[in-house]
Amino acid sequence: MVGITRYASYVPVHRLDRRLIEQAWGTRQAKGEVAVANYDEDALTMACDAAMGCLGDQPAPVDGAYFASVSAPYGEKQIASVLATVCDLPRALFSADFAGSTRAGLSATLAALRVVQSVAAHTVLVAAADVRTAAPENELEGVLGDAAAALTVGDGDVIAEFVDAASIADEFTHFWRTDVQRTVQMAGGRFASDFGYGRDLGAAIRTILERQRLEPQAIQRVALASPDARAAADLAKSLGFDAKTQLVSPLHGEIGATGSAEPLLLLARALDAAAPGDFILVGGFGEGADALLFRATPALAAARAAVPLARWLAAKTPLPSYERYLKFRRLVEVEEVSDVVTSVLEFKERKQDIRLYGSKCQACGQVQYPMARVCIRCRAQEQMEDVRIARRGDVFTFTVDHLIPNLEHPLPMAVIDADGGGRVYLQIADADDIQIGARVAFTYRRLHEGGGNRNYYWKARPIREASE
Amino acid sequence: MKDQVAVIGVGCTKFGDLFEHGYEDLICEAAFEAYADAKIDPADIQAAYLGTYMPGAAGGKAAVSLGDALRLYDRPITRVENYCATGTDAFRNACLAIASGAYDVVLVLGAEKLKDRGGRGLPRFGHPLLAKGNSAPGLFALAANRYMHTYGVGRETLAKIAVKNHYNGARNPKAHLRMEITEDKVLNAPMISSPFGLFDCCPTTDGGAAAIVCRADLAKRYTDSPVLVKGFGLAVTTGRPYFDPTFDYLGFRSTQQAAAQAYKMAGISAADVDFAEVHDCFTWTELSNIEDLGFCAKGEGKALVHEGRTALDGDIPINPSGGLKSFGHPIGASGVRMIYECVTQLRGRAGERQVKNAQIGLAHNVGGPGAVACVIALGH
Repeated sequence: MVGITRYASYVPVHRLDRRLIEQAWGTRQAKGEVAVANYDEDALTMACDAAMGCLGDQPAPVDGAYFASVSAPYGEKQIASVLATVCDLPRALFSADFAGSTRAGLSATLAALRVVQSVAAHTVLVAAADVRTAAPENELEGVLGDAAAALTVGDGDVIAEFVDAASIADEFTHFWRTDVQRTVQMAGGRFASDFGYGRDLGAAIRTILERQRLEPQAIQRVALASPDARAAADLAKSLGFDAKTQLVSPLHGEIGATGSAEPLLLLARALDAAAPGDFILVGGFGEGADALLFRATPALAAARAAVPLARWLAAKTPLPSYERYLKFRRLVEVEEVSDVVTSVLEFKERKQDIRLYGSKCQACGQVQYPMARVCIRCRAQEQMEDVRIARRGDVFTFTVDHLIPNLEHPLPMAVIDADGGGRVYLQIADADDIQIGARVAFTYRRLHEGGGNRNYYWKARPIREASE
Repeated sequence: MKDQVAVIGVGCTKFGDLFEHGYEDLICEAAFEAYADAKIDPADIQAAYLGTYMPGAAGGKAAVSLGDALRLYDRPITRVENYCATGTDAFRNACLAIASGAYDVVLVLGAEKLKDRGGRGLPRFGHPLLAKGNSAPGLFALAANRYMHTYGVGRETLAKIAVKNHYNGARNPKAHLRMEITEDKVLNAPMISSPFGLFDCCPTTDGGAAAIVCRADLAKRYTDSPVLVKGFGLAVTTGRPYFDPTFDYLGFRSTQQAAAQAYKMAGISAADVDFAEVHDCFTWTELSNIEDLGFCAKGEGKALVHEGRTALDGDIPINPSGGLKSFGHPIGASGVRMIYECVTQLRGRAGERQVKNAQIGLAHNVGGPGAVACVIALGH
């Protein structure tokens, strides 16, 4: 059996209330909020958060990794490889980035399923994330939201069996961004929803239902990414589904349209609640459409996400102002923290700095970071074994710094005892205060820029759920 | 090495925002005062040690900066850099040079021109990723928060230290910040790095200080009031305490070890010390120092502070000069400036900040934070 084996969501902590956009521009906005990536987050960092949540503490063997986004922080530099390194996946790995349209997340999932079906691989990680930017005052500003999702597909311990898929490739200009544009453009709403989104995704879904000889009523959960909150319900109705009972409720009101992550987040929302035997239909769109049909297995109940999507949605911090959003997005001029990480240093230290490995003394057992030749506890020489530092820990001590050069102040810094040993000293993300004893999760974030490049390193963020 | 080396002359510039002075001006002013104090011809100086932590555009990278400023050529000069213990370590090296028998007269000079680098604190060096976001106040604050959490100490105790050091500094004509302050002012100042507000932090300061040391048996050739070096010690521990899983963050082992070395050499204990210039880069650092130097047990510093025992008229006056807090902290100069203060006090020439019955004085630097500490014991 081939299908989904694990899954996780990640939603950045900040929300921009659409009222603040209304106040800024005097335009009318729908009710609700959009999720906003922090100043140190981007599609890469959020994909890492989702992937780490999906893989858990002891990553199972993974043969391949796909990253999907239409807002990757690099035009040239593969993100999937970075993601795999951050997640400490083996070096012998096939990897690829998916991009182009917001169905990239679902297309990557389909590609991963096909690879596993071909028996070329047993387990493939898929992570999708987007941080799409609209021009200030553009109608999309209150529509686009930031989030990430990750899943693994495999041929063992399947929680949702892959049943069928159908795809449509179509030149239909709905959302686009040229290679010199920073902000997303959109063609007229209603027309594009009906003639592009509705027709393409509708055709893909009909193909599956006909091929599987399933009536619409047989599908318990219909998870449809959509350009706006209304289009998914319209499409569901036109296909014979009951939007009230079968449609997985869209995320637009709570976090906005989340691009490549959206179909996977809706799939997560379905899996968070599905019963064994439930059919789950997932749809994504953009220059055509992908539709995938899954069926939940009895293994689902014991392998649901450690943090359900509902908890990611609930654990949130409102942005105090629209201007703060502009700053996070660099839509106002900001002075980036500047430092250079040469490729030589990065290469030499990638296990320590990116995979976050320390040393464990074979003589006294002390775990220590960074990697060392002589034990800090017992002074034993050359008896070190490389050891992966856990991605969670407890704050031993801290300070909240108001003066250090940074985009945001105050900046808490903390000395953290990682679970299983090793003491690290990291910036605290997503919070302007911290306390001794606080439980934190490590998160890979943008640290600074220099030499024409962007530099990432680990930070720690307060855990949002005890189950994290 | 007790009593083998004598300080025969000291000098110190006014400390402060010396925007109109250059690095070489600081060296010249401090050295000329020390020359005059020791009544020495510079030609008689056989070797010199320069303490500068951070080289600037105007010099400090190498010993030649001292040679060029004073035209002191054709003899050995060495630059010493050892974090915030730079000044006392330069002095310690000069003592070793005399005690070795190699030289009779050696100049020690600390100079630092921090204000040439502009505003906010010290520039940060080091790894571009690891420990990024650290600052001098932030690094000491990690220890302060853990200490205060452990011993139930509040910011008001730290404030008393700032108030006391400003009181002393206001009575010192060469101090950087010569105003008295109140506990309210300390507690309500803008936060720098919690728990440190603005008045918990020493200022960034320009300054220079000098000391001339010679063989103790030759001291009377130069001065009627030599001060003897009783003992010294220096200890290094990890410069990355935030990565040390064995560190309790309640004090600095480097200070404890350096003090033990100095006391042993001097044949004294902490109880024999009459006053101390200690490294109060931040208010909490002084609180920890007085415990690490042995003036009270660990965790009991709060009582010493609250009972006024570290005040000018207390039984163990701490930082009669005003300390780094009020006198200022031009890093490489600070340790030598402490020697200047100790000598001034031991000679009984400290005016209205004179400590009563001063027989043994201590100079102490700690930097890193905690990575390195140096302790010098001086006396009659």
